[in-house]
Parts: sequence; structure tokens; C-alpha cells
Amino acid sequence: MSGSTSGCAHSARKSSVSPTDPIQPAAGALPSGARDVLPVEAAELREVEDDLRATFARYGYREVRTPVVEFAHQLERADSGGLDRAYRLFDEAGRVLVLRPDMTIPVARLIATRLPEHPGPIRVSYTGPSFRVPQPGKPVASEHRQAGAELVGAHGPEADAEAVLLLWDALRSAGLGHARIGLGDVSVTDAVLDGLGVSADARTRLARAAESRDLVEWRTEASALEIGGPERDLLAGLPAMRGHAEVLDEIAETVPAAAPACERMVRLLELLDQEGLHDAVLVDLGILRDWQYYSGLVIEAYADGAALPVAQGGRYDGLAARFGTSRSAVGFTIELEFVHRALAGVRTRRPLDFGLVLVGGLDALQAQAADLRAGGIPVIALATGDLRAEALAAAEGWRFVGQPEGSALRIVDRADGAVLVSTTALEDLSSLR
Amino acid sequence: MPLGALYQDAIALLGAAGVDVAPLQAGGRKLVFEADDATVFITTRPSDVPTYVEAGAADIGIVGRDVINERRPDVYELLDLRFGECRMVYATAAGEDPTPEIIARLGVLRVATKYPQIAEAHFLATGRQVELVKVNGSVELGPLVGLADGIVDLVATGTTLRENGLVEREQIFHSSARLIANRVSHKLRAEDIDALTARLAQAVAAEAV
Repeated sequence: MSGSTSGCAHSARKSSVSPTDPIQPAAGALPSGARDVLPVEAAELREVEDDLRATFARYGYREVRTPVVEFAHQLERADSGGLDRAYRLFDEAGRVLVLRPDMTIPVARLIATRLPEHPGPIRVSYTGPSFRVPQPGKPVASEHRQAGAELVGAHGPEADAEAVLLLWDALRSAGLGHARIGLGDVSVTDAVLDGLGVSADARTRLARAAESRDLVEWRTEASALEIGGPERDLLAGLPAMRGHAEVLDEIAETVPAAAPACERMVRLLELLDQEGLHDAVLVDLGILRDWQYYSGLVIEAYADGAALPVAQGGRYDGLAARFGTSRSAVGFTIELEFVHRALAGVRTRRPLDFGLVLVGGLDALQAQAADLRAGGIPVIALATGDLRAEALAAAEGWRFVGQPEGSALRIVDRADGAVLVSTTALEDLSSLR
Repeated sequence: MPLGALYQDAIALLGAAGVDVAPLQAGGRKLVFEADDATVFITTRPSDVPTYVEAGAADIGIVGRDVINERRPDVYELLDLRFGECRMVYATAAGEDPTPEIIARLGVLRVATKYPQIAEAHFLATGRQVELVKVNGSVELGPLVGLADGIVDLVATGTTLRENGLVEREQIFHSSARLIANRVSHKLRAEDIDALTARLAQAVAAEAV
């Protein structure tokens, strides 16, 4: 009896659902921050990914993959704060799992635990999604497609230069030739603080100001320190100092204890200058993300059209040791969606896709369709007499529409409206590519 | 550009720093103004300024410290512009401060505010439990009509508090207008932004003399 009553109530409620019912989400609703990717965007994201992969391969970075799901306690070893915004779930034994919130730490885990015998240096790359719980009110997705590279077991300015060069080359290959790369260095800032004898308490407060990018607070804290005038002025303005090697010369002059760290960075800049990156690189000592995590260089890359850096990275020599194998490491992560967004602002309208909508390809012209496909021309086959060919080509953005005309094919090039009657379609279309 | 209390001072300071602010002085109902040098000014509610800057719709913005602390935007805070000075305070009805008594007997303090994040952080940091009542205006009314035990709000002179029979009990922070910059613009337009920041810093220093 009770069963039938509740069944009744259920069906009554179901029938009252309207498209605007706030309780019952619409059929297309997804969890906050999640989204679908449709064919045009998917194709463009794939192109970006292929460009980045190809560049990584040219530098000898071999691809690795890690699972999407990891034990929370494993990742917490590396970065206790990094899991704040991770999706968590439980396994069959009640252990806490996370969807990986970034790729760097899982890849560090992989290198430390699966490749301990590798003589080094190890060059690996990766591509895949990471997941973060979106913050309310901010337009950021929960799934981040990322691609990155790690150079492990190599230290010094030469290794840093390779990482920066690879990042720049990868972005350029994807079409972001105008990207700018910002370089900070935690070891320079630390050396200045050491050299000036700044107390641990004050350092904590300065670090907090730097990480929230609050240069006003940094200046206030630094100005309150009891150190010499010129040194205090330098420290107060440190995160606002930017330019090129002259910035580091100025620091080394005022705080001699920081000279070795500055020299390392000057050497890095020399190496990058030789690669032609002088104008693409900006030294900016205000780039001080995750002070605990990075041990030297901190890298960010920027492009017009993306409101956040398209790539982030740096040197974290202490990370591998947390997984039991001590190795220095430098690397970066590129946000594919940000790169794509920046490219969408650069590129003009997307050209039509190279493909032929072929009326009759499903029946009378089956052999023709097969030949064209074997020759590398995508064929979208329709039945003889199908009148939707033009509408389909317009909806999906295909360049060519073909109909049988006698023993030949009558092909319309939708890019310029030209008409071609051809008995050698494969050669004729191939020549237009 | 923040409309409201900071607007005129912001225009004056930008003008003193050599920015062409003529289009802003023309007034009218437009929200976006373009100067002859192609600088575009976007005028908006102060609480939306960090949103525009964080999203890159504006490269830089002027906004009060109170809004920054409440919204916690991911932007660079470059310069204290030293106008729009005021204090974020906790206030209760005049007479003996009822706060210790309420905490002891009821365990939780009820506070009305337009700044729930700031209020929550303040009471958390000082070890007191709090129930926040988010209101959108006339916060001073809260304790008078029994909506809340106290308020967290921004005060400049304290006149409004006094006239409504309230007394400041704790200062949470000192606020003034700040120059903020988008994370990407700050690097891609480093030269422009550094030059403007330097000119504004000079104008602020000149003002202080």
C-alpha cells in the first residue's frame, strides 16, 4: 500500500517538472565547473596538444602517464596545502582518494618511485586533465587540460635555460609566438633575506604578502625592519624590481651575500639571450608563488587574451626527496585551455575543414569514397539523392560538396564557390590542400 | 574606476599623475570612457572593480582595501593611494560592551555586516564564535532593532555610529584606496604599468607634503 502511494506521488511530481523548475536541473545541467567540448573546440585543443607534444619530443622528453586517482596521503607528502581544492572520494577500504589536482606531483612521484635506477638526467613530458573544485563566483573550470615537461637530475642555469627555452618553443609551436615569460627566483629573494639577517617571523609575514601578491603589505613589513637605509629600500622594492640582468647587478651590489644567487640568474639570462629570447623574457622578482614548494627559478608565461598565466613552473629541488629519492628538478605546466583561449584571440576565423560531403558515397560511389579516404581526404558519405548535403557541409564546416554528374564528380569548393567537374577527384582535391 | 565615495579623489590623483582624465570629468550616464591617448576608463561599483581586473577586462583598477579583503581577488596590489582612508571596525550599542557577557552566556555572537568574509576571519582569529547576518545597507540598524548584537562595518569619521548610538569596540584594519593590476597585464604591459605606478607614487607623496 505504502509502495503504491509513494509511486503515485513520484509520478505526480515528475509530470509537474517544467524546463525552469529550480529543483530539477535541466537535461543539459552539469556539476559546477564541468563542461562539454564540441567538435570545433575539440579539434583546436587537439591541434594545440599535438604541437606541444611534438615540441617536447624534439627535445627528447618522453611521455609518461599517471592515474587520475591517487591516495590523498601520497600527494600530501609533497604539498600539504595543494589538496585544499581537490575532489576527494573513498576507496573500498575507506582510504581517502583524490582526483589529481595537478600533474607535477604525480609525475615527481612516478620518477622517484618507478625510475630510481635511471642514471639521469630524466626528461619526461605529460598531457592530461587535472581536477580542482571551482571557487564560487570565479569563472574557472573544474577540469584543467594540462601539458608539461620535467627535467629531473640536472641543476644549474643550463638546466633552467633548457626548461625556459622548451616552454617558449612549445608555446611558439602552438601559435603563441608573442607570449612573454616572467622569471622570478626564490633563491635570490632568500639570499637577500639571509644576507640582511631578517628574522623568521618577519620572513613569514613577507612570504604571506608575496604569495598574495600584496606589494603594499610587503613594503610596509620591509620598511619596519631595523636594517640599513639602502638595504631596507632595496628589500622594500624587491618584488617590484623587474627588467633584465641590471636588476640582479643592483641586488648583488647592495646585498653582497646575494651575489652568488644573482650570478646564477645572470648566467641563465645570458644563455637565454643566446637563444634569442632576450625580448621574450622579463625578470620579475615579484613572481614568488608557493615559496615553500619552489627552491629557485619560478616561471610564468603570459599571453594576450588569457587573464591568468598560460603556463607556470619552476625549480623544486626538494620535491623528489619527499618520495624517497633526492633529485633536483625543473619543469612547467601549460594550461591548454588558456593557450587555446589566447589563440582564439589571435587567429582570424577558422578555415573550413578539408573534407568532402559526397552524395552517393554510401551506395553508388562507395568505391570512390574508399579511394579518397585511402588518399587522405576525409569523406562524409550520404545516400544517392540526399538533399541535405549543403546544409550538412554548412553546419559542420566542410569545404567540399560532391555530386555525381555522368561518370564524373561535380564538386563545389565552399571556400570560394568554385565548381569543378572532375574524373580524377583524388588528384584534384589533393592539389587544393 | 570605483563609482561612489572614492570616485572624485581617484580622478584627482590620476590627473595629478598626468593621466588624461578629461573624459571622466564630462560626466553623463556613460559607463565606459575613452581618452584621446586610447586609455579606456571603465566605471563600476567598487565591489566589482576586482572582478573586472581579475578577469582581465581591465588591466588596472582603483579600489578600497576593504573590498580587496572581502573579495580576496587574485591580483597584484601595487600601491597605497592614501585617500578614502577609513577603518573596518566592530561596534556595539553604547554603554558597557555586551560582547563578553554574550559569549559567556550564549556562546555565540550575532553580527550584522556587509563584509561576511572579513567579519568571519576577524572573530575566528580572536577565538570567538559568531553568527553572521548578511545585510546590504544601513548596517547600523542591526543592534538597534535586535537583529544582531553588533556590527562589522567601515567607518570614516564615526559620525554615523555615534548618531545611531553605537560605539567602536575593535579596529579590524585600516583601509585606503589601492592600485591593483591583473596578473597577466602586470607582465605583458610591465613598462606602462611601472611608469604609471611610479607617477602615482610621486603624486601620492606630493599630496602628503
